[in-house]
Amino acid sequence: MSFPHGSDLETTTRLSRHQGEAEARTLEGWRARGGYEALRRSLDMSPAEITEVVKASGLRGRGGAGFPTGLKWSFMPKDDGKPHYLCCNADESEPGAFKDREVIRWTPHLLIEGCLIASRAIGAEHAYIYVRGEFFEETQVLNAAVVEAYENGLAGEGILGSSWSCDVTIHAGAGAYIAGEETGLMNSLMGNRAEPWAKPPFPAQAGAFGMPTTVNNVETLAAVPMILENGADWYRQWGSEESPGTKLWSCSGHLVRPGNYEFALGLPLSDIIFDACGGTPSGKPVKAVIPGGSSTAFLTGDELDCATTYEGLAEAGSALGTASPIVMDEDTDIVAAMRRIAQFYAHESCGQCVQCREGTSWVVRILQRIEAGDGRPADIDTLYELCEQMTGRTICVLADSVVFPLESSLDKFRADYEARMKPTLVAAG
Amino acid sequence: MSRRIHPAVVPAQPFQLTARETFDGPIFETEEGKHRLEAALSRYPTKQAALLPMLGFVQSVKGWIEPADMVEVAEALDLTPAYVHSIATFYTMYNKHPVGRHFVQVCTNISCHLNRAEEVLHRFLAETGTREGEVSADGEFTVIEAECLGACGFATVVQVNDRYLEDVTPDCVPEIVENLRGTRNGGPDAGGDA
Amino acid sequence: MAENGAKATVTLEIDGVEVTVPSGTRVIEAAEHVGVVVPRYCYHPGIPTRPAQCRMCLVEVEGRPKLEPSCTLQAADDMVVNTASDTARTARQSVIEFLLVNHPLDCPICDAAGQCMLQDYAYVTNQLESRVDEPKRIMGRDRISDDILYFADRCVICTRCVRFMRDVAEDDSLIVAQRGDKAYIDTFPGRELDNPFQGNIVDVCPVGALVHEDFVFKARSWDMDAAASVCPGCPTGCNVTIDTKENQIVRVKPRHNAAVNSWWMCDYGRKHLVMTNRGVRAELPLIRAGGGDGDGGELRPVDWATALDWVAEKIGTLGAPGGSAVVSPDASNENLFYLRTLLDRLGVGDADFRVPQGETAELPTVPTLKLRADRAANAIGAGFFGGRSVDGPPNGSAGGALVVLDDELEGAGEDFGASADFFLYLGTRLPGAARNADAVLPIATFAEMDGTFTNFEGRVQRFHQALRPPGLARPAWMVLSRVLARLGDGEAVDDVRGAFERMAAQAPAFAGLTWDGIGLKGAPAAGSAAEAAGVAGSAEAGA
Repeated sequence: MSFPHGSDLETTTRLSRHQGEAEARTLEGWRARGGYEALRRSLDMSPAEITEVVKASGLRGRGGAGFPTGLKWSFMPKDDGKPHYLCCNADESEPGAFKDREVIRWTPHLLIEGCLIASRAIGAEHAYIYVRGEFFEETQVLNAAVVEAYENGLAGEGILGSSWSCDVTIHAGAGAYIAGEETGLMNSLMGNRAEPWAKPPFPAQAGAFGMPTTVNNVETLAAVPMILENGADWYRQWGSEESPGTKLWSCSGHLVRPGNYEFALGLPLSDIIFDACGGTPSGKPVKAVIPGGSSTAFLTGDELDCATTYEGLAEAGSALGTASPIVMDEDTDIVAAMRRIAQFYAHESCGQCVQCREGTSWVVRILQRIEAGDGRPADIDTLYELCEQMTGRTICVLADSVVFPLESSLDKFRADYEARMKPTLVAAG
Repeated sequence: MSRRIHPAVVPAQPFQLTARETFDGPIFETEEGKHRLEAALSRYPTKQAALLPMLGFVQSVKGWIEPADMVEVAEALDLTPAYVHSIATFYTMYNKHPVGRHFVQVCTNISCHLNRAEEVLHRFLAETGTREGEVSADGEFTVIEAECLGACGFATVVQVNDRYLEDVTPDCVPEIVENLRGTRNGGPDAGGDA
Repeated sequence: MAENGAKATVTLEIDGVEVTVPSGTRVIEAAEHVGVVVPRYCYHPGIPTRPAQCRMCLVEVEGRPKLEPSCTLQAADDMVVNTASDTARTARQSVIEFLLVNHPLDCPICDAAGQCMLQDYAYVTNQLESRVDEPKRIMGRDRISDDILYFADRCVICTRCVRFMRDVAEDDSLIVAQRGDKAYIDTFPGRELDNPFQGNIVDVCPVGALVHEDFVFKARSWDMDAAASVCPGCPTGCNVTIDTKENQIVRVKPRHNAAVNSWWMCDYGRKHLVMTNRGVRAELPLIRAGGGDGDGGELRPVDWATALDWVAEKIGTLGAPGGSAVVSPDASNENLFYLRTLLDRLGVGDADFRVPQGETAELPTVPTLKLRADRAANAIGAGFFGGRSVDGPPNGSAGGALVVLDDELEGAGEDFGASADFFLYLGTRLPGAARNADAVLPIATFAEMDGTFTNFEGRVQRFHQALRPPGLARPAWMVLSRVLARLGDGEAVDDVRGAFERMAAQAPAFAGLTWDGIGLKGAPAAGSAAEAAGVAGSAEAGA
């Protein structure tokens, strides 16, 4: 376990400032740290006012897509007489990402508070926290906190003595990456296969149980209390215009100090990798980094100067995603790494869309063959072609998710692939 | 902190392999079963939404889910057994076959892959003398390759029953296996420090 | 464009053709209005849910960055759709290629070959070679029900079958198991489907994944002939297609009719129809005319002219009018009409018919489609023509003329018809109880001729000849028109139009109907007559 981290880089631990403090897990300890003050404040605000503050803060969804949170909340219908739901996406399963787990297991009350404030903003009567099933210990911690919240008037009927009520329920997943896709998550919550559905209907129209629903990531919701408490401008002191605030970074792979960090958005990626995480244990140069979790595009070791903002990483040809750089040193076998990534997506494809169901496993089979030294030059063209056909054709973006790393690895590490090709006979003459 | 479980909250279940005997018979006719079902139903607007929680509950007390259990869950929730079968096979955490007392899942996904996870996996298989997915002759172990467990900074990550073992290297596998062998179930001292 | 509220129609352009469709129409359906059938797997017009998961029907819409699934995309004003742009075609082509990654190339032994939507599209998109070098995933074969097999490797996971069971039959017992490329269709382990409408899952399967066991390896699609017909299993009258090979019925499939059976039919009807293949048939006219000096003696085979002359002569010499008749409620309207004309001439009043009863079954989401208790195709028609529904064994003890139309006389005694002055038996088979007949005229089954039935709600529906009748068997209307012609009543008719025309001219229930006007979807019989005949069958028939 690697909390709290030493770092040669200045961290901005706001959201994560109480991670590593065992007492912060209890209600008493959490209150001693100013917990639930933001919730109290939100009770004096109208849902629209809460949404406005979050909108003004520029907070963007931390689950990977980066959609503006306040805007998402504003899509929820007002006074429609229907039950509304909040789903907290704690199905953290993107390879490389492990930030939400830390939020849950160290600061469960922070998450609950964030859920309650968001529920108030969108008029939800029930907040479901969908935690991936493997996070058993985290669920235990969170559950203890929910029990405490209920017992102390922070959840359920008449929250903090007000007339407002909201239930909080932990819903454990059962092993499906695709349950982290918002419509897949809602299907899973309803007791269905976690198959994403084609939008429309959008969640804000007809989501969980057919009712207006908002799905927010753990880190997004955990950022809400501090924004409400300190204001939008305070939050905007960090980051850029388009990417304000601080961000948790899950750093893994070939690093001296892998782990979670919180930084103001906008630092150069290289600083995070070398200064904060200490570079590679082998001391060898970085060959490749997948900056935003396994479904973002590869960067080479020469492309790490980019700013760690949504726009900065997009400019660099990749994406911020879940802010989970996976670092690979010079000795890394890119073909094997890519094969392993593709294998994951093939395993997690729900199987609805043909391109994804058949495409992901086809990609795996080709990569396995190349890895085994039985590749043919035409395979590279085929892989490129598959990338094209698997992009933007399916209900959700799982198929696209394998394309980003695959296509970029072909672009940037083509030599690695070619080196594995079976020697072919060259016609004389 | 109160130890009482709030009646309206469905707690996650520890992996109670030793409790198998006490649940011999219809699970939802036991006090525990009735309570879990009732609690789960109170949390959702539909009965069907209690499906994952109830399958999780069954697995927590039995270690796996067999067809007869699916029929029971289906009856409890007014679903067809076929539907429950569809759900149980979609989600990989539901064991459709018995597993050993210590269910070892070795993540070999990218970050773990970069940290010798395949070696860790093979070491586990060698130390337990099993092939992937099978129960060892003494009923102690089942070892499988797992997809990302969401603790990539602590590669290689190994899940033993409900617990995560982090920063596992091939060299620490023999000791982990030895420690697990000494415990009756995946209790708190189940080997290796998290 | 009008802005106020819901518009009744929208106008859009599809492949350069402007089309106006009702609001809410999906693009895939709007395209059919301009003659464009967008390739599809998961979409089926009879299944309400549209998961848009096969990604085959993606089309390009001007102004939209991504291809859109036309099965869920609502047609909207000013929308410009291109179903055949390069992007749309390439996308479609790639879906086929993806499907062929694992789909076996076992077309030579696949029962769907020739009628397979994967095979067809592979040809259409000109993908006769594959880039796939990898070994295919092998899953094998499973039994889904007592008569349906599932070839998992051929399955494209369109989930039409699952959704038919769940959303149309409301029987959630067929599901997708597993996920990703390991997904397959399954029932609960150890259980099989047991639904009276489950056979429809075979029809909706776009490939050869689901096959009726009794059809496996039986016929290649190009060796079969097809005829539009109507299921005679019960008064519902589901519209069907009868597939035949070498003059045998090998398969029956429902034919769409929104007013009757939608896209479906029940399993009882399906099996019942295939059963009409079985049994020994009456193939030659038989008359009880002596060696040279007149009547008496054994029934002996003769040609039609001899038989008809003899029957007409016998009828002409009958004494006082009166007698009795037993008819089959499975006889066509035309057969019953001509029989009634003959019975009137003979002075015979009620014609008894017996309707066997059976289990009922309903398809929850299609109220008009129901397996009804009456196991007869045309009890309503029999009612139009002086039929009388009776229970118990047929009565054949009266004097005068006795005419039986294709009733197999179950329960009749040895002396059935012995006391009749003249016993004429027209039948597809020759049961023992016809032993006392003076003449046996072999007739065609409904599958061997053209004709109409009147269903439970008075809908007159055409069926067409699917088989050649055996030997000299001929449609009863053809036979009876000749008997009547010999008696000076009308002309001999050779085709069903003539028979129907005369029936429409003379029988009030059919007034105003024409053979061509009825078409392949049927038309209601004249209201008052239909209502009057409502009592003809059992009470259930009108329910």
